[in-house]
Amino acid sequence: MKKNIWYILLVFSLWSACQSSQEKPSLDLSNTEWSAIVEQAKGSDLHFMMWQGSPEINHYILEFVKPRLKANYDIELNVIGGQGPEIVQLMMGEKQANVESGQVDMVWINGETFFQLRQIQGLWGPFVESLPNAQYVDFEDPFISIDFQQPVNYMECPWTISQFAMVYDSAKISNPPTNLDELKTYVQEYPGTFTISNDFSGMTLLKSFLAEISGSSQGLNGPFNEDNYLEWSGKLWDFIEEIRPYLWKAGSTFPKEQTKMDQMFANGEIYLGFGFGEGAIDDKIHQGLFPNTTRAYPWANGTIKNTNYLGIAYNAPNKEAALVAINYMLSPEAQLQKADPKGMDANTVLDIDQLPDEWKTKFQNITRREYGISMNDMKEYAIQEPDPRYMIRLYEDFRKYIIEN
Amino acid sequence: MVKVKNIALGIYIALIAFPFIYLLILSFSADWRFPELWPQYFGLRNWSRVISGETGLLSSFVLSLVISLSVATSATLTGFFISRYVNYHPKKRLWTLITYFPYVLAPVVFGACLSFYFIKVGLFGNTAGVILSQFIIAFPYALIFFSSYWGEQTREYENLVATLGGNPWTTYTKVLIPMAGPLMMICFFQTFLISWFEYGLTSIIGVGKVETLTIKVFLFIKEANFYYGAMSCCLLILPPALLIYFNKKYVFNKLI
Amino acid sequence: MRTKYQNIGLLFFAVLGIIPFALSFIYALLYSLGLVGVANSGFTIEHWQEILESGEFIKSFGFSAFMALIAMVFSVGIALWLTLLFHKKIQHKTISFLLYLPLALPGVVSAFFAVQILSKSGYFSRWFYQIGWIKDIQEFPDLINDDFGFGIILTFVSVVMPFFLLLFIGVFKTERIAELESLAASLGSRPNQIIRRITIPLLLHKTWPLIALYYIFLLGAYEIPLILGQESPQMLSVLIVRELKQFDLTKISEGYVVAVIYTVLVTIMTLFLFLRRKSIRIDG
Repeated sequence: MKKNIWYILLVFSLWSACQSSQEKPSLDLSNTEWSAIVEQAKGSDLHFMMWQGSPEINHYILEFVKPRLKANYDIELNVIGGQGPEIVQLMMGEKQANVESGQVDMVWINGETFFQLRQIQGLWGPFVESLPNAQYVDFEDPFISIDFQQPVNYMECPWTISQFAMVYDSAKISNPPTNLDELKTYVQEYPGTFTISNDFSGMTLLKSFLAEISGSSQGLNGPFNEDNYLEWSGKLWDFIEEIRPYLWKAGSTFPKEQTKMDQMFANGEIYLGFGFGEGAIDDKIHQGLFPNTTRAYPWANGTIKNTNYLGIAYNAPNKEAALVAINYMLSPEAQLQKADPKGMDANTVLDIDQLPDEWKTKFQNITRREYGISMNDMKEYAIQEPDPRYMIRLYEDFRKYIIEN
Repeated sequence: MVKVKNIALGIYIALIAFPFIYLLILSFSADWRFPELWPQYFGLRNWSRVISGETGLLSSFVLSLVISLSVATSATLTGFFISRYVNYHPKKRLWTLITYFPYVLAPVVFGACLSFYFIKVGLFGNTAGVILSQFIIAFPYALIFFSSYWGEQTREYENLVATLGGNPWTTYTKVLIPMAGPLMMICFFQTFLISWFEYGLTSIIGVGKVETLTIKVFLFIKEANFYYGAMSCCLLILPPALLIYFNKKYVFNKLI
Repeated sequence: MRTKYQNIGLLFFAVLGIIPFALSFIYALLYSLGLVGVANSGFTIEHWQEILESGEFIKSFGFSAFMALIAMVFSVGIALWLTLLFHKKIQHKTISFLLYLPLALPGVVSAFFAVQILSKSGYFSRWFYQIGWIKDIQEFPDLINDDFGFGIILTFVSVVMPFFLLLFIGVFKTERIAELESLAASLGSRPNQIIRRITIPLLLHKTWPLIALYYIFLLGAYEIPLILGQESPQMLSVLIVRELKQFDLTKISEGYVVAVIYTVLVTIMTLFLFLRRKSIRIDG
């Protein structure tokens, strides 16, 4: 009997190793008319994997994009919850299992995931040039065409551009810190009201700190430099060690996610926060989560400005539908709606000067944010995303030297 | 002494009731922030959204129900029949021992190591895959559950029927299944609950596409939407609470 | 004829009960050695060295073992104490329904509830604030995501203890412990002596395999420490999943190393538990 079991096991392993799904003729963009793609996409199911942590974003996708894709292009959009690591895990697994027709067609990613997906060749493309609406994007803008110091090369389509900003409650503090020295004074004055989340946002903050330690807002540009990193990060860990006793929970632990920090900010547990989308405070004030005395502001040496993108999985079963959907999400109509400060409140990636006049005026007339800061006001404070290896190392070392210490 | 006992019992029962009442209140609330002891809004708003299908909770409830009923039915039936062969086998102890391994392993770890094969055979990110993966942990439970049924006594009954001229079919339909009826009910509901409460395995094999109620609770926690989270909790509690009301044995699982 | 059916039955058993476990173990082992995995480039024991040297695994294992132990000691202890108090009361229909009710709460719900009442902005903190015991939200003590795993232990106990209470009450009845007690009393034993020498040893003797199994379950618990734990140390399942989803793709194998070690440990514990006892089942 035991022999039988091993035999079955062997057979099963071999069988699963030899399995391969049926191949669909691959799509050649250079020889296909856009209208043919739209035609081909009709009636298909599209699976979009995205981070679902924000009610506004969910609302925009499910109540605005989804019904329009259905009505205009007969595409059924299905949203799947999952962010960076889940997307990468899924594609690594599929790659390994040689799955020709994957679970996901389209993904919403940022630079770190882009870097990972490029490593495993998880993306299909280049495709962005073929999108009719790409004509309105300024690909000369380094914040759009370079993602974490890597040329995008039309492998992912820009969707939203935003800058990282600091957030504070003006009712509780009058002079929020704008550099590391001031931060030190601040935490001593208001102990327990600041912390760093152990996630993408927290690491982005650490990148800003690292740039400040480097002595310039451009200090982290260019390829990863081991010596510089060791020198600057050493100073950074010393600094955090120094202020640790004044951090939230005396620095004995750090929140796992930034959403947790938002809740603590909402409850008045912490006074100082941060976030992408120029701080992303308007929607939270409108929801009644944040007090209306909340304000966003730039860090003196600058904060990271980056773009997030839409990509197509290397094994997407419906590449045509993904192309049509991405093109729609890049359209002036969809981008305008996305920029509504009362809704998703996300900056467009379109170059307004390149738009037809009718749209130009519409974009110029978007109501300004009531409480938050605009990306234009933060222009001088923008730092390019550094090489992804800075992020990898910061993650590792923050855990090693701070969290586990 | 009697008084102390009554007080202790009273406190314990109050502690038991607290989460149920609190979650129910929370599910009817909105705008409930520190330091308020009572929500600013209390009413039917959240639940009316569930009924209208807006939150996706209703479909999650139905989906969870379909998955759990499938897992319970298949695990109970296969467990019942296969347990017979395992327990009548001379190496019974070895087989039973092996049965425990997948059962004691943390499902989330099991799922992570198993996911490759699920991707391979196309059972990843769909309901069928989730049912199969949950079956893989519910089945050993059912096997162990029925092991005591297939003892000497049952064997004697089987022999008796055979001596009296009954064929295997009549043995099953007239003797073995009727005798095991109540046990099968208990096993059915307990495997139902294993599936109903499952999170780790479902999150990995379902990739987030298969949104069962436990997955929903986590989504709402991530979104910091505690009111909807409380509603999903209430929906999760409802079936087991009803089962306890009907028959405590369905839920009290002494075997593990 | 009979043997043919038997072989088919056992074949099914192997396919459904053994193969998935074996396959998952083999996969994790191969991955941990760099033999599979898109970002891996061939056989290496680097990942094993990294895990064994880093101390993180040891810390996580120690933490998990300790959390599970404390939770079991409290659960069993409180359940025993309550059994001695209540075993006569359970006859009442409503009370008995209420005692079973905690079994309707899965780990996810218990953890969610713990956040709602124990966090700094939670329900207890609000009462403290309203009464005036704390002036500021920060003054409320850390009860979840805390250094000592208080939230995890409390939630573990709230999940496990009610089960053992019911179990002990059941054993109390089926083993006719009350009769033994009165027998001992008539032979002149003092009440304390009876509890220490007869009641508690009997209850524990009848239930220890289940206590051990629950310990193994808590060791691998996922949802509760995921929601209520902190970033370091993490319990084993949480650590494994974090390692598997990490940013540095070349280190994913480390997660599988921990998974392999964990699987082996749990398997050994089960073996040990099983070989010490013929059957784990408790009838009654």
